[in-house]
Amino acid sequence: MKGYAGSILRVNLSDRKISKEEISEEMKRKFLGGRGFAAKIIWDEVKGVDPLSEGNKIIFSTGPLTGLPLPGSGKMVIASKSPLTGGYGDSNIGSMAAVHLRRAGYDVLIVEGRSETPCYIAIHNDELKILDARDLWGKMTFEAQDLLEAKHGKNIGVLLIGPAGENMVRFANVISQKGRAAGRTGMGAVMGSKNLKAIVLKGTRGIPVFDEEKLKALGKEGYADIKGKENYDFWIRQGTMQVIEWANTNNVLPTHNFREGSFKFAEQIGGYTAEKIKVDRKGCPNCNMQCGIVVKDAENGNVELDYENVAMLGSNIGMDDLSKVAVLNRLADEYGLDTITLGSCLAFLMEASQRGLLDTRIEWGDLNGCKKVIEDLIKSRGLGEVIFEGVRKASERIGGESKNWAMHIKGLEISAYDCHASPGMAFAYGTSPIGAHHKDAWVIAWEVSTANRFSYTKEKVEKVIEHQRWRGGMFECLTTCRLPWIELDFGLHWYPKYLKAVRGEEISQQEIFELGDRIYALIRAYWVRENGGWSREMDCPPSRWFDEPWNQGDLKGSKLDRARYDEMLSWYYELRGWDENGIPQKRTLERLGLGDLALGLRENG
Amino acid sequence: MAEFRFIGYLAEIVGKREVKIALENPRKLRDILGIEFPEKRSIVLINQHVGNLDSLILNGDNVVIIPIISGG
Repeated sequence: MKGYAGSILRVNLSDRKISKEEISEEMKRKFLGGRGFAAKIIWDEVKGVDPLSEGNKIIFSTGPLTGLPLPGSGKMVIASKSPLTGGYGDSNIGSMAAVHLRRAGYDVLIVEGRSETPCYIAIHNDELKILDARDLWGKMTFEAQDLLEAKHGKNIGVLLIGPAGENMVRFANVISQKGRAAGRTGMGAVMGSKNLKAIVLKGTRGIPVFDEEKLKALGKEGYADIKGKENYDFWIRQGTMQVIEWANTNNVLPTHNFREGSFKFAEQIGGYTAEKIKVDRKGCPNCNMQCGIVVKDAENGNVELDYENVAMLGSNIGMDDLSKVAVLNRLADEYGLDTITLGSCLAFLMEASQRGLLDTRIEWGDLNGCKKVIEDLIKSRGLGEVIFEGVRKASERIGGESKNWAMHIKGLEISAYDCHASPGMAFAYGTSPIGAHHKDAWVIAWEVSTANRFSYTKEKVEKVIEHQRWRGGMFECLTTCRLPWIELDFGLHWYPKYLKAVRGEEISQQEIFELGDRIYALIRAYWVRENGGWSREMDCPPSRWFDEPWNQGDLKGSKLDRARYDEMLSWYYELRGWDENGIPQKRTLERLGLGDLALGLRENG
Repeated sequence: MAEFRFIGYLAEIVGKREVKIALENPRKLRDILGIEFPEKRSIVLINQHVGNLDSLILNGDNVVIIPIISGG
């Protein structure tokens, strides 16, 4: 089948062995690429290991559309057993590294083992070197990017970690191009545990496709379609920063550790304010709707802002000055920290401090206090030590009622939508396969636009599954950006057309949905196997949303209903063919072509 | 007076982020706006309840029109 570079490149940092493996036709058909490939490899090869041990592996995975001249195709998935959650973890990133990996002749890079000393991997087509990184170790990501470009040239793709990853902060991320991030689930800590500072990629080959002329024509049409949308110009002005006003208006803007859904100072951290301090735009390769707004921060640094980062490091920690929010965002990018988890951790500390549960005080919106925590985090001391492993562990450490307001699901901190009055979105978070993240199912706009915003219906469950199939299945496997679809109304009908031109085979909506279901069952099976079982509580949001109604705003008094949420969970398991505890049933696995997984689940309880 | 807010690019279509209008009689939102609006890509909230462009607006109503966006 066309559309694939055709091989997996495997590097073992312990014995420095390098090998290439062909990707089977069955693998391409059943798992498509990206997340599909990564999840299958992790299921097969990463069993019962400590995520920060030599036995864990980190997978850099592209899909059949990656790097091609199509909207949003500059993406890749980075996946591993997560040191933050203990389950399957992945995060996607838009970077030239994705394009270069494919042009170098690989769809997937697997890094395993552990180097004795700091190293980085340099790949140039068929040539792979493991190089000394002792001079890079300890460097911030922006400086390390410059140093690597000075050595290898500017026309490269770079994936790297900062001091957070080196010190295995459990929510360290992987950074590229000074601000692009594979933010979630602690992939940077896995690189750090392997003494792997960076991967430098240079590929100069073509990517084989079935019908190149057709693909070029379709790509051109797609870009023109996006550019012709009536909200295109406004998108270019504000990108995702416009969502601050949107979220605040709809009472879903996380505020003071998800205690409230609206922020008095939302305008001061929103898109119109961003436009005033904007100096540039930034985005992924092959994208004509770049979403990153680059601004000048309060300390004169340049930093790329997006909605999630600003909501979590702004309203959620009570910070009302965008240029100060931007400072924290830049520090997170330079140290290599997930902005979403960092924002949740800082808010957790502020609330704990307010409640008198900490020896050291930190106030809401305290920039210097936050900067001190970030410094301490890298050194695992003081308040930094408290949040070193995320809010789940922090609440176990502090004890008492703090677990009720440790805002995570499955150990992953919730991204930037408060759901006191959005049961469908809460449910999307609850059933996300990596923990509480919005990338798989973003149903909140649909939910607030219906007259049934506050309802708990089977229709909402079906909508979440539909999103999970498109977003968590198709987009994560292709691997292309999901933003053109909802943000600019770029039709889903484009993607089967692109796949046909690239692979030479038709793919139906039913096949796409089955792919999504297969990957969901596979990832759930992995969690169950590694966790030694499962329970419904693992798919539920924290108590705050159920037990602590909003104190302010237009929808004051709103909160979720636990029993009705649980009813949605029953519908979900039934629709997915999972049992009452959320474990895929044998017949479901067999229907999805995953019959061999049933044995793996039984063997591991 | 009825209050109207337009979020995101919808404010560009109208030319203002917010406006107050005195209404002598209840009027359809569509007629008040008097311009083409991306109806399928908009959420209309009237006093925090979902409405549409054919909803009747009265003095004292708070109307917010919001585009469909997702944020990352």
